[in-house]
Amino acid sequence: MTPPRLTSSRQPLRLLQDRVATGFITAGGVGVLLAILAIGVFLIWETLPLLAIGESLALAKLSPLAWGTLKAALAALLFAIPVALGAAIYSALFMSARLRARIKPALEMMEAIPGVVVGFIAGLILAPWVERHLASALVLIIWLPLSAGLAGLLWQLVKARLRRRLPPLSWAGLWLIPWLALMVAIALWLAPWMEQLWLGGDLRQLLDQRFGMDYATRNALIVGLAMGFAVIPSIYSLAEDALADVPSTLIEGAQALGASRWQALWKVALAAAGPGIFSAVMIGAGRAVGETMIVLMASGNTALFSASPFEGMRSMAAAIAIELPEASPGGQTYHLLIFAALVLFIFTFLVNTLAEVVRQRLRRRYRQMGGTS
Amino acid sequence: MKAGTVNTASRRPRFNWLNDLWPWLCAASVALSLLMLGALLALLLVRGLGHFWPATLEEVTLRSGDTFAGHAVREVELPQQAGDERLYFTGNQDIEGARWRWVKIEEIAERAQPADLIRLERSPWGDFIGRLVAIEQDDQRWEGDAAWQRLTALLALPASQRQESQLLLTTVDGQTLRQPMASIVSAQAPNAMSWSQKTHVWGDGVWRFLSEGPRAANTDGGVWPAIFGTVLMVILMSVMVTPFGVLAAIYLNEIAHQGRLTRLVRIGVRNLAGVPSIVYGVFGLGVFVYGIGGSLDEWFFSDTLPSPTFGTGGLLWASLTLALLTLPVVIVATEEGLARIPEAQREGAVALGATRLEMLTRIVLPMAAPAMLTGVILAVARAAGEVAPLMLVGVAKLAPQMPIDGEFPYLHLERKFMHLGYHLFDTAFHGEDVQAAIPLVYATALLLVLIVLVLNLTAIFLRHYLGRQRGNEC
Repeated sequence: MTPPRLTSSRQPLRLLQDRVATGFITAGGVGVLLAILAIGVFLIWETLPLLAIGESLALAKLSPLAWGTLKAALAALLFAIPVALGAAIYSALFMSARLRARIKPALEMMEAIPGVVVGFIAGLILAPWVERHLASALVLIIWLPLSAGLAGLLWQLVKARLRRRLPPLSWAGLWLIPWLALMVAIALWLAPWMEQLWLGGDLRQLLDQRFGMDYATRNALIVGLAMGFAVIPSIYSLAEDALADVPSTLIEGAQALGASRWQALWKVALAAAGPGIFSAVMIGAGRAVGETMIVLMASGNTALFSASPFEGMRSMAAAIAIELPEASPGGQTYHLLIFAALVLFIFTFLVNTLAEVVRQRLRRRYRQMGGTS
Repeated sequence: MKAGTVNTASRRPRFNWLNDLWPWLCAASVALSLLMLGALLALLLVRGLGHFWPATLEEVTLRSGDTFAGHAVREVELPQQAGDERLYFTGNQDIEGARWRWVKIEEIAERAQPADLIRLERSPWGDFIGRLVAIEQDDQRWEGDAAWQRLTALLALPASQRQESQLLLTTVDGQTLRQPMASIVSAQAPNAMSWSQKTHVWGDGVWRFLSEGPRAANTDGGVWPAIFGTVLMVILMSVMVTPFGVLAAIYLNEIAHQGRLTRLVRIGVRNLAGVPSIVYGVFGLGVFVYGIGGSLDEWFFSDTLPSPTFGTGGLLWASLTLALLTLPVVIVATEEGLARIPEAQREGAVALGATRLEMLTRIVLPMAAPAMLTGVILAVARAAGEVAPLMLVGVAKLAPQMPIDGEFPYLHLERKFMHLGYHLFDTAFHGEDVQAAIPLVYATALLLVLIVLVLNLTAIFLRHYLGRQRGNEC
């Protein structure tokens, strides 16, 4: 119990302190928020002089960059979306709770790996290897999903007889790792032979002669793999949250009414979590568009208009990183590059806002359904 | 749809492609992601740490009668022909003009591993691989084993106390060389070493990598200045970002009126975490470096213009830019912590007569402390791995001076600094001899990944601890 006399004598001082502190916090908070706002204001302000320059010039300079950015992001998403969504569906709906508590942080750890490291591995190790073994790399990309299906097929076939001794599906995320590693080894062993048998030697030569496709060491394929690796965790994490939050009563109800597992997933779980998955993909796209180091190191940085997956590109972020330190402040290139930064800023900001709004609405809907959250 | 009803109606479950296979594809994507992550980490670990293990030196005789000594690096299939070729690191750049040699495997007649082959690390000219014949000092001369013992004894002394002497060296194909003692950095005879000696050398190599500066255009030596620069920048950044981030979070969560505007601001702050880091770099360059730095130069350093002091990239601007970049991370994490504190705690404090300041400092902030710490650690982890914005605001490939030294004012905020991530990028992509630099790049990458992973794991642990603590209270 506080003695009342003491408090009353210090009352004015305490109130003053309180008022000063509140003012201080308000000033600090508003200041920080204004500083953050200043980024947008600065970018727009520095782009204004561009209005004086002819539009066509800016377009000529920026359109290859925009194309490169889109191509890189698309390649990354093509790889990342299936893997990330598959992983999210599996860990939200099939994995045992204990395993999930371990696997999810491990996959989210992927996000922490710095872009420079991924870019270095992709640009200096993966790219030369793929250049030498292009056929093997392509075979691997097709063979891995097939081999997963093969594992499922084998499991179903022997299920009836050995049910007790088989490792369960809820642990498949772990015991499929050695299986996949084995399949990679088999594919690498067989691929040169298959290349010799079906394609008569070198696939790259064939591409060049038959289709006139050039092959650059650092190309969209490499960027897609490397940046896909970097984007997978962010899509996975958000999509998994959305799927795990689907009230389990919904799925159980659907199955009780006679839906198969596939129908329960496709018609109920995915439909309910759809907005969440959409926002996860949006955030992944935002990340892929803005990622700098991976594109810088794995793409060859040639500003080309080419849809070929075997040619390089130059993205806006990479162009800024390379050219801006050399551009003289106030010059035309300087303003153009800042305009590129503004485009990136607005794009990612819009995409993220959209994703966030969708996600909040989804959360409210779950609450109305009487879900867990 | 109909297939499903048929399936459940019939007694015997039949194999259904769609229904039975897709869970396996999903499981495989988890397995694939884990496999990729594991492969990446394993590659970095093996190559990064393996580089310091003393490699066995081989004396190779070719069918043409040519001999050379070196250690095998890797084997690659020959283009357009059957067979493999092997890359040897042969050193001796001053004698042979090149440090690497590709040899077709079928051309190799004999490979031997004589115990008397030694490897000297020199500066300049890099490694020497060959035999030690003698050491001469004034009129004294040591030969054979005595020479090797003399050499190790001399190298054990600090560099200033070594007596000036000459090494008589010979390569395996018979060329001789006189090498002054002053240019020798270290010496080893890996073929004659036992396992425990090799382990010792390995530990020594790792330590020198961490504690020395780069040599020979970043292809040799260590990364100490880069570690130092990274750590210093991150510390400065957290000193700046913590108070402001916490203030903004407290304002948003405790003081601001919780209305539509606050919700919009909150979404905005959250989204800033997703804005590409390069955009922050552009902002840092335009506002901090050219704007504020330029004006500072005009006011205080006008005597040294046109060479800029603060008007160019430097430590201060880099850490400010990264502070801005990580501000959303800290705000979001702190806000989450604040929102978790039960409203009853606040109401209880106010009901007992506390003012808002007392309620905040005695009840709310101590309870939110782990969340703030988590936010700061996540911010540090993000900043340590971020390179793109630094390329615009002040990182250098080779900084001549450390940002902290004995000269007043001791901490030089305007100097450029080295950064682990940029060091990696620069060595791997702009080096002269990329082949020689790659082992060091692996080691640098491993170090960077380890730092970032450890920081992230700490954050996860803290969050876990925080969750459990709250569980006890409720």
